[in-house]
Amino acid sequence: MSWLEGSRARLRLLFGRRAAEFRTDEEFRFHLDMETDRLVREAGLSRDEARRRAVAAFGGVQNHRESMSDGRGLAWLSGMSLDLKLGGRMLVKYPGLTVVGGLAMAFGIWFGAVTFQMFGVLTGTELPLPDGDRIVKIQNWDIQTLKDEDRVLYDYQFWRSARSITDVGAYRDASVNLAGGDGAVQPAAAAEVTASAFRIAPERPLLGRVLDESDERAGAEPVVLLGHGVWANRFDRDPGIVGRNVKIGAGFATVVGVMPEGFAFPMAHELWLPLRTDVPGVEPLRGGAITVFGRLGPGVSFESSQAEFTALGRRLAAEHPTTHAQLQPHVLPYTQMSVDTGEVTQVKALTYVFVVALVMVVCSTVALLLFARAASRETELLVRSALGASRRRIVAQLFAEALVLAGLAAAVGLAAAQLALTRWGKPYLMMAYETTMLPFWFDFDLSLTTIVAALALAVIGAVVAGVMPGRKITRGLGTRLRAGTAGGGGTSFGGVWTAVIVVQIALTVALPSVVMLVRGEIRRVESYDFGFPAEDYLAVTLGADGALDETMTEEVRAAMGARLSSSIDALRQRLEAEPGVVGVTTVDEFPGEHHDYRRLEVVSMPDSARSWVATASIHPSYFDVLQAPVRTGRAFTSADLAPNARVVIVDQAFVDLVMSGRNPVGHRVRFGSSAQLDSNVADLPSYEIVGVVKELGISSISMPQRWAGVYLPFVPGSIQASPKMIVHTRRDPTSIAPRVRELATSVDASLRVEKVTRLDLMAAPMLWLIGLWTRIIIGLTAVALVLSLAGIYAVLAYIVARRTREIGVRVALGASARRVITSIFRRPLTQVTLGVIAGAVLIALGAIAAANTTQFEGTEIGGMTFGDVPLLVGYAILMLGVCTLACVVPTVRALRVQPTEALRAE
Amino acid sequence: MPLRPQTDALRGSLDLLVLNTLSLAPMHGWGISQRVQQTSKGVLEVNQGSLYPALQRLEKDGLITSEWGTTDNNRRARYYRLTAAGRRALGDELESWRRFAAGLEAVLRTS
Repeated sequence: MSWLEGSRARLRLLFGRRAAEFRTDEEFRFHLDMETDRLVREAGLSRDEARRRAVAAFGGVQNHRESMSDGRGLAWLSGMSLDLKLGGRMLVKYPGLTVVGGLAMAFGIWFGAVTFQMFGVLTGTELPLPDGDRIVKIQNWDIQTLKDEDRVLYDYQFWRSARSITDVGAYRDASVNLAGGDGAVQPAAAAEVTASAFRIAPERPLLGRVLDESDERAGAEPVVLLGHGVWANRFDRDPGIVGRNVKIGAGFATVVGVMPEGFAFPMAHELWLPLRTDVPGVEPLRGGAITVFGRLGPGVSFESSQAEFTALGRRLAAEHPTTHAQLQPHVLPYTQMSVDTGEVTQVKALTYVFVVALVMVVCSTVALLLFARAASRETELLVRSALGASRRRIVAQLFAEALVLAGLAAAVGLAAAQLALTRWGKPYLMMAYETTMLPFWFDFDLSLTTIVAALALAVIGAVVAGVMPGRKITRGLGTRLRAGTAGGGGTSFGGVWTAVIVVQIALTVALPSVVMLVRGEIRRVESYDFGFPAEDYLAVTLGADGALDETMTEEVRAAMGARLSSSIDALRQRLEAEPGVVGVTTVDEFPGEHHDYRRLEVVSMPDSARSWVATASIHPSYFDVLQAPVRTGRAFTSADLAPNARVVIVDQAFVDLVMSGRNPVGHRVRFGSSAQLDSNVADLPSYEIVGVVKELGISSISMPQRWAGVYLPFVPGSIQASPKMIVHTRRDPTSIAPRVRELATSVDASLRVEKVTRLDLMAAPMLWLIGLWTRIIIGLTAVALVLSLAGIYAVLAYIVARRTREIGVRVALGASARRVITSIFRRPLTQVTLGVIAGAVLIALGAIAAANTTQFEGTEIGGMTFGDVPLLVGYAILMLGVCTLACVVPTVRALRVQPTEALRAE
Repeated sequence: MPLRPQTDALRGSLDLLVLNTLSLAPMHGWGISQRVQQTSKGVLEVNQGSLYPALQRLEKDGLITSEWGTTDNNRRARYYRLTAAGRRALGDELESWRRFAAGLEAVLRTS
């Protein structure tokens, strides 16, 4: 047990510093007393003489004490704690530097912490369930398309035989209409799931029981398990809910239980229905999308499980070469979104590099400030050096000072990061993923990893801000000491610092142009012209139950399509009859959204280039409801709905962009995907243009281009995943939303209203996202601006302080104030000018890059108009002015110096 | 004239002397210094204070341990005792020291 005793002794020595010192003193005293007594007793010396000899024999009490203190391995620690204390005092002594430098570092660390946490949330592997790190999902990866193939019902039957994974199960999202206790029907996020899910996430139900295998059998009574939220909000916490029949979609199901609060397995679900997987006659790649999950068996590693599934995949590929040759099953941690093709790692690595670079740039300016402060303390450092402090020791002291500042910044940055994550993290991901529910394992509280990463950033920052200036200032300290030039100043700002300031100013100049660009984007989105008063229209996204039933044959699908069409038609008619409703129509994509983009050729103009167009399938009433009558030609008639009618209506942009202003009516066009048009153009059917309408939002709000639009009549009976309806109302359109829900369920109980919003507000989430980024960029700009001003100020103040004597002599010799100012200003002015030029070059490069990306193709330079240029020039001049102002205070101070004073200072 | 070995050489064997002394009974620092001087018959004159860093080093290595106690005339003193590891280390050190001394002796005899 010697190591235990040893480490105990070591710990005691390390932490009980005071106690150890006390003990040493007491031991020494005892020793000297005993030796004195012995000498009195044995050599018959007087007490004083005996004491003197005892001390002499002991040999330098202080020396031994110090060598013991060193032996405790604490010398550096006590030195460091002194440095840290000194650093703390410096923070108070230079509040300006503390605030500016600290806030700048805090901003960098804040950005880093938020980024780390968000990546952690998105790619985290920790599932808050028992054995969470052993819960997996199994995905079929298509090596040709590099996408998940999630129609795996057939494979699932096969995968269940795997030995490396237990509790294999599956689920699929199945949002349903649920009638609550009061009869009101609302959609609920349901999962059809196998009973094994409740072994993977073994939570005891609050009431009743969870789903079990008997519920999945053919002919079993339909049952449902309720989530806590649904039970509380929709059934008023009814304690007798178990055993009751509730209406789900068009049918009924018996409630078997209620889950406790917070249970949302598999993703973000609030209602669970049994999933039937033992369907007879399932064929490969048929049936709806399901997600397969399970738990690694005891002692099984990811690798060995993967090996088993690779073998299973090969067997399936051999049995079904047509469907499975390019499919590979992958075993992934449950929280991983998809097979990692290296992109995620790449993006992650790039972002981390960016974060570290940002912190280093910020800290290099803080380094400048610390350098100026250290330079003004040169005398102190020289004295320390004279007293025997090594160069390393002095650098360590400056590092400790920076570390205190960085530590403070890390605390502020982390607190701000937690605040930002709580306020914006969740809505940000909801907007970005266009969902209202996030997976239950998404945790926005700062993780330990994030905190460690932020502290690492702080240490990196302290190294940059402390060690760099420390090394520079201590270089040649000994020479200066010998030459006795203390106070005369041998330290100067080198090229590195000039570069830092120039980069800083360049960023300050360039960043606002990004803000302007983004603001321009917001303005464009806000002023997007729908071509009709969109604020009077309601956008309704519908959904239908059972659209993904795997047992469905072509006939059944056709029948379902017909039923869905007639339901939507019935809903349209019922809505039109409502008071306050002007008109109702249907379309495949709402105006302002992304449409289908295809390439088109005008048959009658063979020499014309093929153009990209956006297409929309519409109900014949579309233009009437949007109050945009056909300008030339005719509107769609019911005869156009016949499958071989082959007519289209184009918009004004088509006339301008494709027809160069000629009347398109009567011309024929062919369109298809890019590849189709290039290879077998003759096989594509041609369509006759029968009319022209104004532009009605066929260009997506998120893209600045103007798109040529082509409208096709919507063929009834074809199945759409989410049919869309537009309702024109006389009063506030949102007031009719509850009525839309009611009518939808009364027309067809399986018809769900998934989303209702005012048509013009559809871009609101996007605006919010852009706004958030604008705020971050404004924050960055402000930090860059304050830092460059502080940097310039520090440099000037330092230069002026160093040249006090020179200025005094010059003024004494009769130099004019103008000459003195010129000589002082030359350097900072050069730096500011260089910075502004570099910034302008950055803007130009950015604009050219933006102009070359497809996103901005064919628009003004990067969304920036020439009207913005004078604004930018004005801003640059303003920057120059502000920087000049930062030079004024130290200069005035220098000019106030009395010549006698300056000379006396020497 | 007694032999006065170099301090460096002494420091190397000081650990051995301390361990050997403590193998008889737990002892305080002054007692150890007296004992070392007695057993070496004054040949090894210890710079008494340098004993304490050595004691600290040995304690850090887990070879000895220490605690406060009282002397016969009722004074507070720090007593050091050998640990099991210290006892083992002493055995090893003694063995190698003896081998070294025997070797040295053999060399001296032949020359």
